[in-house]
Amino acid sequence: MTRSGRLAGAGAVVRRRLLVAVPVLAATSVGMFALGAASPVDPAKQYAGAAAFTASEENLAQIRANWGVDDPLPVQYLRWIGNLVQGDLGWSTSRHEPVAAVLSDRAGWTLLLIGVTLALVLVGSLLLGALAAYRRGGLFDRGLRAAAYAVESMPVFWLGLAAIAVFALALGWFPAGGLTDVTATSTSWADVAHHLILPVGVLAVSQAPWFVLFVRDAVAESMRDDHVLAARARGLPGRTILFGHALRTALLPFLTLVGTHLPELVGGAVLVETVFSLPGLGAVTVAAALGSDFPLLAAITLVTTAVVLAANLTTDLAYAAADPRVRLDG
Amino acid sequence: MTRIRPTFRRLVALTAAAGMLVLAGCSAPTTPDSPAGGATLVVATSDEPDALNPVLNFGVDGAALIFDGLVARDSDNRLVPGLATALPVLSAEGRTVTAKLRDGVQFHDGTALTAQDVVFTYQAVLDPKVDSTLRSDLDMVESVTAPDATTVVFRLRYPYAPFLQRLTLGIVPSKLLSGQDINTTGFNRKPIGTGPYKVESWTPGDRLVLTANERYFGGRPANNRVVVAFVADDNVRAQRMRAGEFDAAELPPKLASGFDSDNTYRVQRVPTADYRGVMLPMGNPVLADPAVRRALNLAVDRAAMVSGILGGAGEPAFGPVPPTSEFADPSTVGTPTADATAASALLDAAGWRPGSGGVRAKDGRPARFTLMYPATDTLRKDLALAVTADAKKIGIEVTPAGLTWDAIDPRMKSDALLMGYGTPYDPDFVSYKLFSSQFAGQGYFNPGSYRSEVTDRALQEGRDQIDPALRKAAYTQFQKQLAADVPWLFLTYLRHTYVLKSSVQGAAPRVEAHEHGVANSIWWNINTWTRS
Amino acid sequence: MADLATRQPLLHLARSRLRLRLRPGQTGVVIAGLVLLVAVAGSLLAPLVWPLDQSAVALDQTRLAPSWAHLAGTDDLGRDVAHRAVYGLRVSLLVGAVAALVATVLGGVVGGIAGTLGGRVDRILMRIVDTIAAMPHLLLGIFIVAMLRPSLGAVIASVGLTHWLSTARIVRSELLSLRTRPFIDAAISGGAGRLRVLTRHLLPHVLPRLALATTLMIPHAVWHETALSFLGLGLPPHLASLGNMINDGQGSLLTGAWWASLAPGAVIVVVTLAIAVLAARWRDRLDPRVRAELHL
Repeated sequence: MTRSGRLAGAGAVVRRRLLVAVPVLAATSVGMFALGAASPVDPAKQYAGAAAFTASEENLAQIRANWGVDDPLPVQYLRWIGNLVQGDLGWSTSRHEPVAAVLSDRAGWTLLLIGVTLALVLVGSLLLGALAAYRRGGLFDRGLRAAAYAVESMPVFWLGLAAIAVFALALGWFPAGGLTDVTATSTSWADVAHHLILPVGVLAVSQAPWFVLFVRDAVAESMRDDHVLAARARGLPGRTILFGHALRTALLPFLTLVGTHLPELVGGAVLVETVFSLPGLGAVTVAAALGSDFPLLAAITLVTTAVVLAANLTTDLAYAAADPRVRLDG
Repeated sequence: MTRIRPTFRRLVALTAAAGMLVLAGCSAPTTPDSPAGGATLVVATSDEPDALNPVLNFGVDGAALIFDGLVARDSDNRLVPGLATALPVLSAEGRTVTAKLRDGVQFHDGTALTAQDVVFTYQAVLDPKVDSTLRSDLDMVESVTAPDATTVVFRLRYPYAPFLQRLTLGIVPSKLLSGQDINTTGFNRKPIGTGPYKVESWTPGDRLVLTANERYFGGRPANNRVVVAFVADDNVRAQRMRAGEFDAAELPPKLASGFDSDNTYRVQRVPTADYRGVMLPMGNPVLADPAVRRALNLAVDRAAMVSGILGGAGEPAFGPVPPTSEFADPSTVGTPTADATAASALLDAAGWRPGSGGVRAKDGRPARFTLMYPATDTLRKDLALAVTADAKKIGIEVTPAGLTWDAIDPRMKSDALLMGYGTPYDPDFVSYKLFSSQFAGQGYFNPGSYRSEVTDRALQEGRDQIDPALRKAAYTQFQKQLAADVPWLFLTYLRHTYVLKSSVQGAAPRVEAHEHGVANSIWWNINTWTRS
Repeated sequence: MADLATRQPLLHLARSRLRLRLRPGQTGVVIAGLVLLVAVAGSLLAPLVWPLDQSAVALDQTRLAPSWAHLAGTDDLGRDVAHRAVYGLRVSLLVGAVAALVATVLGGVVGGIAGTLGGRVDRILMRIVDTIAAMPHLLLGIFIVAMLRPSLGAVIASVGLTHWLSTARIVRSELLSLRTRPFIDAAISGGAGRLRVLTRHLLPHVLPRLALATTLMIPHAVWHETALSFLGLGLPPHLASLGNMINDGQGSLLTGAWWASLAPGAVIVVVTLAIAVLAARWRDRLDPRVRAELHL
């Protein structure tokens, strides 16, 4: 089958996915807006922050009027969603700047954290999982799985604190937080890398169990496949069989599933950023939540969802292109 | 196998492309550190401003680094001329102030400062379209005018003795801001002022980089650059201070005490007017009884709070006028330790008899109330719990409740609240709104609806009289009345604790206000700091 | 892992390669059972045998290292860490169980409708589930709590509303596979009505699955709750909850009092691990076709 044949249905699939995703996202936005409107939080006071204590009632009422928060709810919703669609994500009440500016300032660092972690987790879990599968039931296999189950039960923020206690405070090998040396007049990548070792390590370790166990089981399964058995029968060396045959067979389904695990990774990143005080989206989300900053919270949630959906679609399309047995239109 | 290979390669390419995107998303110029690194001072705080614009509440009490007001304060918090050539004078009837501007002051962009800029700044604060929360502080201003390029005239609606103290507000350039929406203008992120430092860059959540203003009217700063690092987390700030990243940092007292034994650091515990106390609402049937309020006042162990919660960095508080103020009345100071016996006797005499479960009751009403605290504030949580424990000892049951501000708001009329306020500059500030009956039940001003004619009159006297001796008499009476009525349970004045490197010279701590951060912290005069 | 079930048809293929199941050895199960028994009994009986005054402080006993008097030390306000950890576990298990039940009911209804009606309704419902699954749980949870104001109810709502998707998928796929089984056909051709088929034949098969899904969800719910509390978005900070305690302990870490966050964290790890081990064992019993290989 030709490649174009394999991807023939792709356009239709994208359309069909959008047909579901857009109404669901729209419905979610209505739900979020309703929750925001029902919430007893006064945006004017959130905006004023500490100064609300010395601002008068008329002062606050004027701020409210300036924002049109006293308009009927449907009007407010349409204004919000209309602006959203036009790319105007609104004004962050907790950060006092456009939501878009907050996102563009910070999303890069979060993407960097998630990207580097994901790369590390993928490589590490493929390697460890395959090795465990090769000697199934052996000491390494059993130890790895026991460790995986134990790590899986640890809250990532607790793991982060432990890492700080050991590697930053007791041993002094890595900084306990932040992104760059503060005296640096510019961003040096070596500096960033040094600061990122602990957070990336913690996030990777906490996310790894799921991936490692998956790879291990998938490779163990494919070790029983005919072509692998045939390779073994031909007397090929173990390394060739493992990495050349068994692992490769298990690789594609694995890559597809990475997409479904992204939301989990985002949640982990939020917590890790908080523990290590990284200037990413996580810290800003928590601050926004504590300040009940509806525009920022809603935008972060909706944008992240859209990104994850796009990533899922991409991996599915890639998978379909790779494997003709897969039908995309199910 | 061959089937997979091409696509596998494509997947690799895809992943690589995604990686490039990630890198591109946060690329920043990579240049080596500037050779003048020795002349850079780094300070760290948790308080990041929302906007670097005095109109929007940045550094309104002066020492704003980037901006100057008409007046400034010296290390004793005395007013000295700022952008004005001499201290402006309040006219005899207390309703007109005329200020003359210094010659030759320039904004960072090279344009000259004129009286029009001053007029613009104050009018922006008073403009209802601008979301400035300062407006109620400048309530008394009827008009601001500029009869000529170097003269500014303020006319007040009513006599206001401490008006000069309000002239510390930083002046913004009218040319850059007129016609713009001040709430959202880009100026708030990259402002232009007249101050000792220019803004080089501001990375929200990370740092503010300031460079020396060569043309500063007060003389070129002694250092080339100041970096203000924003590190919200106390522990991380302490750790980075320890790693030598900062020249000065504000830390909670307990974390700061870890630096006491190390002589490469110096710990400064700066006295403040920043108090914490419990607002006791008159709308609560138990707290409405003055005997209960006075008993609580005797029962709280302020000394234990200072040592156990503040790690020694504080003083017991007995009223809203700090002991460092010339207006403080020493006769209202009580004993720092708890006197449970006296408190119990007071309750017994008032008819609050011990009841079931150790809780007193009077006429069938148990001595119970809820004490709210903002959930994100660890210090207030700790103090609330300490008050709860002390009250329990005299048979009053307190239920602490950690809430968000918007949940606290509607309940302030009937539930007690752990609050914090305080400025050292004038006793009229804050207190006038907090304890005067005309503000009863208005938001965070006098939320407990405390009403006392004596207090009202004393506060009004203090505001109306220009003569310092008469003002002092008025505020003495005010403090005595407060001590008798106990509308608040004053607990402690904090000391703001800072850790400085020993090599840093020039820090001159002065009594600080509740609000401090980039502006108005120990580094208020950082333009004179040097490193040995 | 339950999240994986039937995301899309193309994932079925991936799943066929999946043997992500564990069957711990007997010792592991026994230990896990004991741990859980102690945890549940302890948190149920604590108010009777070891009452805690949630607002008590002892300002003269702050930050004492672990000793016989204070097994896990004391915190910044002189409170016994072990004592509060017991009550923290009580809150976590309560939130975990209630939130898991909320999620199960929600997921059961959606999955039940999709699975019994099948066809177009099923496709649309599952696509909706997929889209919602793309929202990061924690972000959605933070949003819900922020808008409802942090409280016990808000935390339960936040966990319940974000964790029902996997249950919906499990119920739906179980029902779909049952529909093709001969005994259902037999019942229908025997004249049984729709309702009778549902209650007599389908439900008994689905219920154990549903119960298992609920159990597997409890650890997730506990993590979610502690994460929210850790971020300051959970219970009021003076109440003993495991997340609050770890959050408080973060401050003590730098002043040398590492024990303040150790005990609450260890409690979470041990208890959630025990639940996971038992649930895995249960799953093996439900589905003996699956070969499991974990021997802890």
